[in-house]
Amino acid sequence: MFKNLGDTINKNKLYKSFALFITFLKASTFTFAGGLAIVPAIERDAVEKYKLLSEDEFMEYATLSQTMPGVIALNCATLVGRRAAGVVGMLAAGFGAILPAFVFMLLATILAKMIPQQGRFLGAMRGIRAASAALVLSAAFSLGRYNLKSTFAVIVMIAALLLVVLGNLGAPVIIVLSGVTGYIYQHIKRYQERSRNDAS
Amino acid sequence: MMLLNCFKLFYTFVKLGFLSFGGGYAMLSMIMSEARHFSVTPAQFADLNALDMVVPGAIAINAATYVGYLYQGMAGSIAATIGVSLPSFVLTVVVMRFFAHFKDNLWLTDILSGIKPAAVGLIAAAAITIASDVLTVPGKDIGNLLVNPIGTLSLVPVVVFILTAVLNIRFKINPILLTVLAGIVGAIVIL
Repeated sequence: MFKNLGDTINKNKLYKSFALFITFLKASTFTFAGGLAIVPAIERDAVEKYKLLSEDEFMEYATLSQTMPGVIALNCATLVGRRAAGVVGMLAAGFGAILPAFVFMLLATILAKMIPQQGRFLGAMRGIRAASAALVLSAAFSLGRYNLKSTFAVIVMIAALLLVVLGNLGAPVIIVLSGVTGYIYQHIKRYQERSRNDAS
Repeated sequence: MMLLNCFKLFYTFVKLGFLSFGGGYAMLSMIMSEARHFSVTPAQFADLNALDMVVPGAIAINAATYVGYLYQGMAGSIAATIGVSLPSFVLTVVVMRFFAHFKDNLWLTDILSGIKPAAVGLIAAAAITIASDVLTVPGKDIGNLLVNPIGTLSLVPVVVFILTAVLNIRFKINPILLTVLAGIVGAIVIL
């Protein structure tokens, strides 16, 4: 009796892992911008179609995947996969999310290397590169709109910018430094607020 | 040698994966700051950013595959992709075990209050590095900008850069459309 029960659970896990793989393979293939754009597509499949987890659980993981370091779309896959079908589910979902990004980019890179770097082709490439640089700047603007709401944030942003451009510091060092700065600043701020409240 | 280089790719991308917060562009800027170790030029990064718009999947995985391939071919692209992906698997296992402690964690919020604005600075720095490479006359260094601005900057790319920035930031014109137009303008005007 228990043996049968075990079989049912295993089959169920296998089915779920397959569903997870398909869900994230599809989501990753049809999302071009990455990050948050992927969420609605996953929700439709994981919650409504395959019923792998509840809507609330899914939203919780979707939020958590943005707080965690690493690739957001992949965080979402591994969290949802692990919750729905354990370690096997995590691997299936993660692999599904990685595969299209890897395969299509590999093909694109090989094809792009074939473009001749001369004449009109080079002209087109130089135009595209100039636009591309502008779009990276645009990304800084749109992220800045949400993340630069205090004087402290603006100072950290400018410091990071100068340290990279003029100080030639690597990004990992900047991230660690800014994390420590944020931690210390918030503690000082809280301490000051507390002493102000005590005084009044 | 190849094995060592692939391990270097793997190690670098694991490190970037664990330290990157805030998604694709933040990660892209971090990868760029490390890319000089893998002899990837700012112009090649501009190509990557353009390719990213039409290639499906997460930007950071695309970037790892691209940098890995340019540096060490197929083996390199696999090493970098596994590297950038590994943190998600490791952190998922850790976070699920201590979920209650992670969710409304005050120290994480404190740390992120510094990292989020720094990520904006990193992206802006990436834009400056790419621009200073792709907007200059081939062979000229941006260091000459103040001495000889007209001989250093390439007119058409600078105009395309400014127009694209304004049309996308101010008027929200579709980035893929702008990139295609920039390519057409480049093919017609730059020789």
